[in-house]
Amino acid sequence: MSIKQQILADKNQVVIAIDKNFDFSLHQLFRESYTNCDTPKTNFILDLSRTQYMDSSALGMILLLKDHAEQLGGSVTVSKPSDTVYKILEIAQFHRLVTIEK
Amino acid sequence: MQKANYAVQLLLVLSLMLLINLIFFHDHTLNIVLVLLQLICLVYIFLFFKKINNVNYSSKLSDVHQIDNELFRASLHSITELLDETTTIIKSDADRAKTFVNEAVNGVSSSFLELQDLNAKQQEMISALIDKNRSIGDNEGTNLENFVNNSVKTLDDFVGVIVNTSKQSLLTMSYTDEMVKQFDGVFTLLEQVQNLANQTNLLALNAAIEAARAGDAGRGFAVVANEVRSLSVNSTELNEDIRNEIHQAQIIIDKLRQSVEVMASADMTSTLEAKNKVSEMMKHVEQVNLETAEGIDKLSALTPEIEDAVATGVRLLQFEDLTTQTLYSLQTELQNITTINEKLKHFEQLSLGQDNEQLLVIKEKSQELKNLTNSQKDRTVMQSSMNEGEIELF
Repeated sequence: MSIKQQILADKNQVVIAIDKNFDFSLHQLFRESYTNCDTPKTNFILDLSRTQYMDSSALGMILLLKDHAEQLGGSVTVSKPSDTVYKILEIAQFHRLVTIEK
Repeated sequence: MQKANYAVQLLLVLSLMLLINLIFFHDHTLNIVLVLLQLICLVYIFLFFKKINNVNYSSKLSDVHQIDNELFRASLHSITELLDETTTIIKSDADRAKTFVNEAVNGVSSSFLELQDLNAKQQEMISALIDKNRSIGDNEGTNLENFVNNSVKTLDDFVGVIVNTSKQSLLTMSYTDEMVKQFDGVFTLLEQVQNLANQTNLLALNAAIEAARAGDAGRGFAVVANEVRSLSVNSTELNEDIRNEIHQAQIIIDKLRQSVEVMASADMTSTLEAKNKVSEMMKHVEQVNLETAEGIDKLSALTPEIEDAVATGVRLLQFEDLTTQTLYSLQTELQNITTINEKLKHFEQLSLGQDNEQLLVIKEKSQELKNLTNSQKDRTVMQSSMNEGEIELF
């Protein structure tokens, strides 16, 4: 599976892990992985530790996730991006929009 | 030697006389006579010796006088010739030295002036270059730094547009997906409609059969049944058309999907590279600015140093002045030698008897010239080295 979802109810966290390629082909799966989570103040953790390639559609997807999280009063954390992925996030000024944990 | 000889002889005679006295000591009269005789002998001996010496001395003297005079004249002649030659050479050397110094100083002088001029020109060029470097472009002060900053901002804006487009595209996709679900719903409904049409058809068939069974009474009903049948057939056809239309719509939606996918997925790699290059460019610009500033400082420090060096050179040119003084002094002293030389030449032409007087004249003249030179030395301000003062040439 290209996307793995894990709900940690006790910490009020939802972990979404992405595989090697984070691109347009995942858009439907990605959307499905969070649309059903409507617990208020959920912290969505996007695990990119295995992600090697990210294009602009991935950035769009992250923005949509952020919108959803904000609707719930929660937050989004990007965890363990590789150097290339981090640079892309930096160019798009995402370090100002979401928390990035190295 | 002569004196020693003389002393020995005198001693011998005295001892002889003493012996004779001792021998005739007892005879007083004879003794006295002998003593007197001895005394007279002594006196004669004394005078005799003196005369011999005088004769030797004066004969030697006249010999010496005779020999030395020729030698003396000859030597004097050689000396005067040598002095003539030497003074001529020294004079010409001094003149040549003067010329060399003069030419060299002129050359070096103009060289230094040229150096100062070039230094000033160079400084002007450097200033112009600095100004140009600071403002490349139009009058609003657009320079390299501003340009790079603007590029960075443009790049950021561009990335923002891409990301936004991506987000909107994805939203569009989700709406499209919902629309596809709607169409699926429509298809389901269409199927139900088709079922209705089918059932209607069956019903109409049944109705026709019942009408046929009813005979004439059912003829009107049979017509109605037929109409209902054709309605259901039309309905089926319509259904089919609707299906096709929707199918077309689905095809278009597929195309829409593909188009949106393209819009949503922009490869970020080239943008990343571009941003990297721009960052490097900024660093490079900063580095260049820093180095330029350092370079300017160093250059500015050099200009006064060059000026100092040129000033030192010009100051050292005063060696011409000192050299001229030295040469002048040389020529003056040379004059003294020439004067004495003339006196020596004059000496050769005189007769023998005036040698002593002439020697005296030469001696006095030399003494006079020497005294004059000494007193002049005290009065003249003579520098012995180049570093003793800072006199400016004007």
